[in-house]
Formats: sequence, structure tokens, C-alpha cells
Amino acid sequence: MTSKQQDQVMVITGNAAAAYGAMLCSPDVVATYPITPQTEIIEKLFEFSASGELDAEMVPVEGENSAMNVVTASAMAGGRVFTATSSWGLAFMYDAMLAASGTRAPVVMVNVNRETPGIIAVSSGQQDMISTRDSGWISLIAESCQEILDQVIMAYRLAEDYDIQVPVMVNYDGFYLSYMAERVEVPPLKVVTDFLSVLKDQPQRQVLLPGKPFGCGSHGILQGYVELRHKHVQAMERAKEKFDAIDKELENHFGRSYGGQIEEYRTKDADIVLVASGSMCGTIKTVIDRRRDEGLRCGLVRLRMYRPFPWERLVQVLKGKKGIGVVDRSVGFGLQGGPIYVEVSSLSAKFGDIPIMSFIDGIANTDVTADHCEQMIDQVLAAAQGEEYPELTWVCLENGQE
Amino acid sequence: MTSKKYFQGEGPWSDADQLVLYLDTGSWRSMRPVVEVESCIYCGLCALFCPTQCMINKNGEYFEPNLDFCKGCGVCAKECPRGAIIMKPEGEFNDE
Repeated sequence: MTSKQQDQVMVITGNAAAAYGAMLCSPDVVATYPITPQTEIIEKLFEFSASGELDAEMVPVEGENSAMNVVTASAMAGGRVFTATSSWGLAFMYDAMLAASGTRAPVVMVNVNRETPGIIAVSSGQQDMISTRDSGWISLIAESCQEILDQVIMAYRLAEDYDIQVPVMVNYDGFYLSYMAERVEVPPLKVVTDFLSVLKDQPQRQVLLPGKPFGCGSHGILQGYVELRHKHVQAMERAKEKFDAIDKELENHFGRSYGGQIEEYRTKDADIVLVASGSMCGTIKTVIDRRRDEGLRCGLVRLRMYRPFPWERLVQVLKGKKGIGVVDRSVGFGLQGGPIYVEVSSLSAKFGDIPIMSFIDGIANTDVTADHCEQMIDQVLAAAQGEEYPELTWVCLENGQE
Repeated sequence: MTSKKYFQGEGPWSDADQLVLYLDTGSWRSMRPVVEVESCIYCGLCALFCPTQCMINKNGEYFEPNLDFCKGCGVCAKECPRGAIIMKPEGEFNDE
């Protein structure tokens, strides 16, 4: 049974899609603080709350750090929680994020990607997400407004799963997706509730119950710490296949699926493959279609899961290719290449000694244009044909406007 | 990996309904609280103040530290209104 027939089709922004996704999952507690380009999510959720569509405790906190602490505590008290932030806000809640993942609180958060503090840039970029790489959170990346809605719903299945119990962050490109309106199929509440009902059949996770106090955030030094870190890492490992499975279930319930940890777009017989994530993938797919028409066998691997890093599936799909280009919408300070490039290239021992190029593009709202994508494909093609190539290319710098 | 488990669940959660005893705090101790049972009036202040919550209720008559977890901080001795708990150097005991 799918929801297709009953879906309400709307033209809404990515932020509104995130808010609809959260609302349909019926969170008990929503604690948020406004920040561009995320604020619209909060506005929308308060609208839902005012109209009675959302029956949640709405906590208008004084800052992001409090937002994360409120949702973490609420999650450990057994609640379903939601928060959203971006850039500065994400940085301001970093210690609380570590507490959320360390105490294994199943928090779901939307992070609307924006450049980080220092150079005041009210613009898109994944640097904020990259800077939380080792926070112990599961990190997902969406490409379209529809996927934002679906991924928020999937995030609850992942975070609250008894075998996982790790907070999940749903990322999407600020300004591009946050404010862009697209056609979105909004499923009925009943279908979403059905989709989430699996969680109710699982064993009760550890929560605070009246009259039954428990210590949360307890000391774990020496072996106790080692034990909990090991458990957390194991849970992250399990999250990969779990996400694939949830994606398949999504198809049964909603009639949509995205490929799980990665989307493989025309990669099967491809010689040249780009690895990218987020909204730029729409443009890359268009260019790939065009180059395919011209006879070039090229494809795209779209990263939907940044943490845990889906290396098994990447190795599977990249094995036997002739050239790879990894596009990062962030920089790697002190790395010879973009952050995701470095991780993909670390797998070359597993998928073979082939040219891998790093492209940095799209930071600070420099558009990843079709021209840029053509250039990247051309450069990887040249490298695959034996030409010398630079490891790192700043596409957005070289194509900078005068 | 050691087979000993410090935590039953997935996270740093402990059962606060019973005792918060999950660390080898007993190994930290250099001073040991010794209870003079005849002076104890069973007021329970030592048990309330004990940071590791390791004071054992002995049949409603007196309290005694669980030495597996007592870290020798001396809070019980300080709080005892009867002065019934005396801190003695671990070196004076030969039971280990």
C-alpha cells in the first residue's frame, strides 16, 4: 500500500518540507532558535502548533545550545524531539551535540547548510556539517525538497531504532533548497504514523519514568568509557544497512526511494564517475544525461549519508571505473583536497589505482553551474586517458567572475 | 576485549533507583571510614551525603560503607553528628 493516491501535492520550500516532515512524525518536544536560512522551519512549526495540527511542547529557547540540551533531555525522558539549526547555531550547540550522541539520545535535527563563522557569509556551503564529522551523529544529506521531507521521516526511524539509538542530522543546502519551492508530495499523517509504528513494536529503550529514576550521562572512565565508545561505533556501523532497509520500506509506504546510503545514477557501465552530494546533484545529472547522449559513459554517485561513511557501497560502485572526481562544497584545512575527496581517496586501496580528482565548488553560494560540471567531467576524462592531472582544483576560484 | 560489562545498556545510563555503583571507586581510597557501631544513632546522614551512595543500611541499626565502592572521601565522617565515623589510613589495615 502506498500513499500516492492520498498525497497532498504542494509547491513548498525546502524549509517548509522539513517542517511538514517533522510535524507528520508528531514530535512531543520542539526546541529551536532562529537562524538564517533555517528560521522558516520554526515559523512553520509554530504555525502548525497554533492551528492545532502539531500537538507538541514548543520551547522557544534563548539560544541553540539550550535548544540541543532541551531536546536531548526530552529524548532521554522518552519523548520524540525535533530541532533545527544552521552554521553559527550548529557551532554554538557543538558541546551539547556531543552530549546528545554520548548519551545516545535519539534526537532528530535539521541542519540547513551554511558557511561557518569568521568570514561573514550568509551563503550556502557544507562546512558546518563537515565540522561536526566526529561528533558521533548520523549525518544525512538531501538533494530535493521532496527528499528533505522523506529524510526527516526516515531520520526518526533511524534515530529511535532500538538497534541504533544515535542522533540524526538531516542536511540540505541553505539558500538553494531552503528557499526554493518545488513540487512536494505530502503524505497523510496516517501513512507516516504507520511507517513509524515499527518503533512501537521494539523493546522499550532506556527512558526516564516517574518513580523510576536513572542516571544519564554517568561516568564511564577507563574500560567503561572504552565499552561505551565501542558500542556507539558498532551502532554507527549498523546504521548503514539499516538506512538501506528503511529506504526500501519507504518505497512500500510512500512509493518513493532514493538508494539508501548512496544514490547510483547511471553508474553501472560508466567509466567516469563524479561523487557529490546535495542540491548540485540535480545539475550534475542533467550534464551526465547530455554527455551520455554524446556517447560518454559517465555517472554520478550521490552521497546521502555522510556519517557513518558508506565506504562499502562506495567501493562496490567505484570498482573498475577509469576516473573519479569528488566534488566538495567545503574546504579541507590542511588536507590536500576536499574533505569528502580525502575519504573517498582513502578507499583507493580497495577499489584500485585509478585517477581521483578533488574539486572544490559551490562554497559561499558560488553556483555549481552546468559549465562547471562539464569541466569536471572533461578533466576526469583527460586524467582517465593518462594525462597528468592536479589532485585539487578550486572550480569556483578558477571560474570566478571578474 | 574484556568480558566484564560496566554498562548494561547502550549508553552511559545507570540505575539510580538502587545505587550508582558502577565504577571501581574503591581502588581510589587512601583513608577508610570506620564506624563505631555503638555511637551510631542510625540518623542516615552519612548515607544521604555519601557521593558514591555506598553506605549500607545494616538491619536498621547502623550504617557501614561498602568498601568495594567507598573512595575514602571522608564526607560521612565530616557529616556524622555523633562523630561515630573515623577516617583511618589504609596502611593500618592488612585485609587486602
